[in-house]
Amino acid sequence: MTDLPEFSNEPILELRRASVRAGLADALAAVDETLPLEVPAMIGGEVTPGSASFESSDPGEPSRVVARAARATEDDARAAVAIASRAAPGWAAIGAEARAQALLGAAEWLRARRLELAALEVRECAKPWPEADGDVCEAIDFLEYYARAAVALEAGRTLLQVPGERNELRYVPRGVVAVISPWNFPLAIPCGMTAAALATGNAVVLKPAEQSPACALRLVQALRAGGVPPEAISLLPGFGEVGAALVHDPGVHTIAFTGSLPVGLEIVRAAAEVAPGQRHLKRVVAELGGKNCVIVASDADLDEAVPAIVSSAFVYAGQKCSAAARVLVDEAIADALIERVAGAVRVLVVGQASSLGTDVPPVIEEAAAERVNGYAEMAERDGRIVARGGEAADGGLPEAGWFCPPIVAADLAGDSPVLREEVFGPLLTIERVRDVDAALEVLDGLPFALTGGLFARDPAVIRKVRERTPVGNLYVNRGITGAMVGRQPFGGNRLSGTGTKAGGPDYLLHFVEPRAVTENTMRHGLVV
Amino acid sequence: MSTVQDSTEQEVRRIGAELADAFPSAGHSPMRALDSRAMELAARDRELKAALFRFVDVVPACRSLDDLARHLTGFLEEVPETPPSLAAAMRIAHTRPGRAALGAAAAGGVKHMAHRFIVGESPAAALEVLRGLWKRGVASTVDLLGEATVTEAEADNYARRCTEALEEIAREAARWPERPVLERDSAGRLPRANVSVKVSALTPLLRPDAPERGRDDAACRLRPLLRRARELDAHIHIDMESLDSREAVLELVLGLLREDEFREGPSAGLVLQAYLRDSPEQLTTILEWARSCPRTPPVQIRLVKGAYWDHELVEARQHGWPTPVFEVKADCDRNFEALTRRLVHARELVRVAIGSHNLRSVAHAIAVSRQAGGSDQDLELQVLRGLGDELQDALAASGLRVRTYCPVGDLVAGMAYLVRRLLENTSNDSFLHEQATGTPLEELLAAP
Repeated sequence: MTDLPEFSNEPILELRRASVRAGLADALAAVDETLPLEVPAMIGGEVTPGSASFESSDPGEPSRVVARAARATEDDARAAVAIASRAAPGWAAIGAEARAQALLGAAEWLRARRLELAALEVRECAKPWPEADGDVCEAIDFLEYYARAAVALEAGRTLLQVPGERNELRYVPRGVVAVISPWNFPLAIPCGMTAAALATGNAVVLKPAEQSPACALRLVQALRAGGVPPEAISLLPGFGEVGAALVHDPGVHTIAFTGSLPVGLEIVRAAAEVAPGQRHLKRVVAELGGKNCVIVASDADLDEAVPAIVSSAFVYAGQKCSAAARVLVDEAIADALIERVAGAVRVLVVGQASSLGTDVPPVIEEAAAERVNGYAEMAERDGRIVARGGEAADGGLPEAGWFCPPIVAADLAGDSPVLREEVFGPLLTIERVRDVDAALEVLDGLPFALTGGLFARDPAVIRKVRERTPVGNLYVNRGITGAMVGRQPFGGNRLSGTGTKAGGPDYLLHFVEPRAVTENTMRHGLVV
Repeated sequence: MSTVQDSTEQEVRRIGAELADAFPSAGHSPMRALDSRAMELAARDRELKAALFRFVDVVPACRSLDDLARHLTGFLEEVPETPPSLAAAMRIAHTRPGRAALGAAAAGGVKHMAHRFIVGESPAAALEVLRGLWKRGVASTVDLLGEATVTEAEADNYARRCTEALEEIAREAARWPERPVLERDSAGRLPRANVSVKVSALTPLLRPDAPERGRDDAACRLRPLLRRARELDAHIHIDMESLDSREAVLELVLGLLREDEFREGPSAGLVLQAYLRDSPEQLTTILEWARSCPRTPPVQIRLVKGAYWDHELVEARQHGWPTPVFEVKADCDRNFEALTRRLVHARELVRVAIGSHNLRSVAHAIAVSRQAGGSDQDLELQVLRGLGDELQDALAASGLRVRTYCPVGDLVAGMAYLVRRLLENTSNDSFLHEQATGTPLEELLAAP
């Protein structure tokens, strides 16, 4: 184990090379032949199709069924937690190195199927190829990173030692972790939360988003193939009631959740209740919403700011918690910025995720499209639409599928909900501010604090924003999405989350309990 | 070493020494000497170099003299050891009148440096320089600097500027005196008016993962430009940029020039970047294309080292990709010479231009060209304005055809270009840097 090479990120596909692109179509065709995938509930060693089922479909062509999944019940949740509770001590006892080997095995399983998995994301979540591939790589990164970090953590921390006593601080697993994951990073996010829990010796029950059960199935297959015992990783495809059952279960110690703020708050409330027979406080690791702002100072290089803002706002149709939602631009350059961003958005192509020429894929489902369209109407009412993309090429959006045009709105009334609420879709607003200080005041008043951006060149301005920003991830003079494991530990503050940083050096601490042991080494005046 | 290689090496040394003798004497211009000292200072201290570059980069975005001075001192404060002259400048900046004076001086300095590399704010303003070069036996190609193209309107505007530049230069060039060395090679006449075009400026749709989008959109603007060039008897050269756009650019150029209407003009060219490890395969592709669709005049291939080395290296490292460029200078130089040899022997298919400031590479190209039995008129040498001025004069004095790449545009537009040139000029293993710091001629001309 000590000879493990240092962590490095799994390289994404070099899609700028034709030879690399050439393999994509075949991978997609091969996956299409296997659809729809059957996704069972996997409760310990038991694999069951369930008494009821549900389907996931291609957001770009909703008649295409991607997976038919067992619809797990509250009873299934209780059973899975019970199995996990029994399995946890054994999984903890084998030690961090053995657990790390299993996670590395899972990483290898994913690595051997990179194109196939990316193709599945293209279909199930309409994640465009570069993003889908990036998601698979990030899942591999989480496994590799946490495996190493857990081995290091097992050694404990150094304490002050005085004659006659031996002090040690160790980190021990908490028990059972319920992982409740979203669909927008259908492998990486469930993988990150699950891998952190497993690496530190917890047993996991995973409840993936109902939109992406097939991707979650692949993750569980990878973990089990790598050597994680079935009892330590259960899969419960299903809806909110299964997640709620897990959250309320007295056998669950930690809830790792990534999703919306309302659901997150519900979880925090529920986790605070101590059920009869429960002998621990539940801990919540939550990654919630964002309303991410990019500040553009008067000395910004617009040649760089415009493309970075456009891609931060519209890649994957804005369906990333890190996506740019609001631009706060110094009034001195606001007209130029608005004109250039608008022009850049007008040429964006809305289309299928499977086409490399697509800039903006469909949103995940009909309800999402309705929500985005609702905010677009609100933006039109409260301000003005300066650009609507995706209609230039052939005069319309694709027929079937949940396509929304990318929209830029400017000069919205200060009280517009569009400026406060998370749209989670391809809608960007631009506001003029007096200067960077005024932009910082806007930030001060925001409930969310996930990611933020700054385009500026004056070192004093960069210093000021770095010190005053409330966000968990500030990006200076670059796009604000695409955090890399080990490089940009990711997570928000305020109502954006519990301040945990996925892919960073502190993340595992949320899945363990510290235990200090002090032994008296003096016996009748003799130090042994 | 075989006798052929032996005699090549002798020739390279002889030609190199002749060219070195023909260099204008150093320091003939006091302003030029000042620049060299500034460059030298920057090359020695990485932090200082970074600070100065960041300042140069932000100058166009500064709104006042006060703003300029604040940026300058802001960058200099981050340099651990500020040279005494600059420390004095920072003290001045504590008062508002001091900042105004410092801002004015700094802006003036940057503008002066910019003028060394940029021949004019507009094609009209550049005509005088172009005419002056021509009279001294130096041909030119004009590159229109501009902001990045992110919208359709910006792409249209760039195409319009290119058309206007073609027209203005062609009109002016018709009045230039005859310069047979610059106007003819074995394949025929060479246009006097010559414009270099960037595909990234011709379309907002360049996507590394989907090259066909940028290629097709740029084609819509390049086609009228080629037609106009043919009417005006002007040359269009398509520049090569970073690897992200190479596929789009190559497919665009080879595709358009294969179209029936362009089989007999205009004169056109493309670029081969020797720092790319796969440049030999690229050349094979280009030569096979040239063989499969002969055109008159033949396409010109400009062989260069490549100007995006740092960018390519950083991008590859950040993504964990294999480095697409040679990381060792000698490997790159050797590849440059191998490509030179192949090009020189493919002159029945293509016109050859060697773009380099490396005296060794240039002398080598001349030597292998002559050894291949070619006439000097079938080898064009190209240099960059402001960086290759001495070499340009030496080549012209030696009766060789030299073409100078002349950027045109305002300071705002030019700054990104300028910063790249400065980086190149002060990089520690650049030929110019070695030459400026007094590396003996024998070493400069040694085989890589």
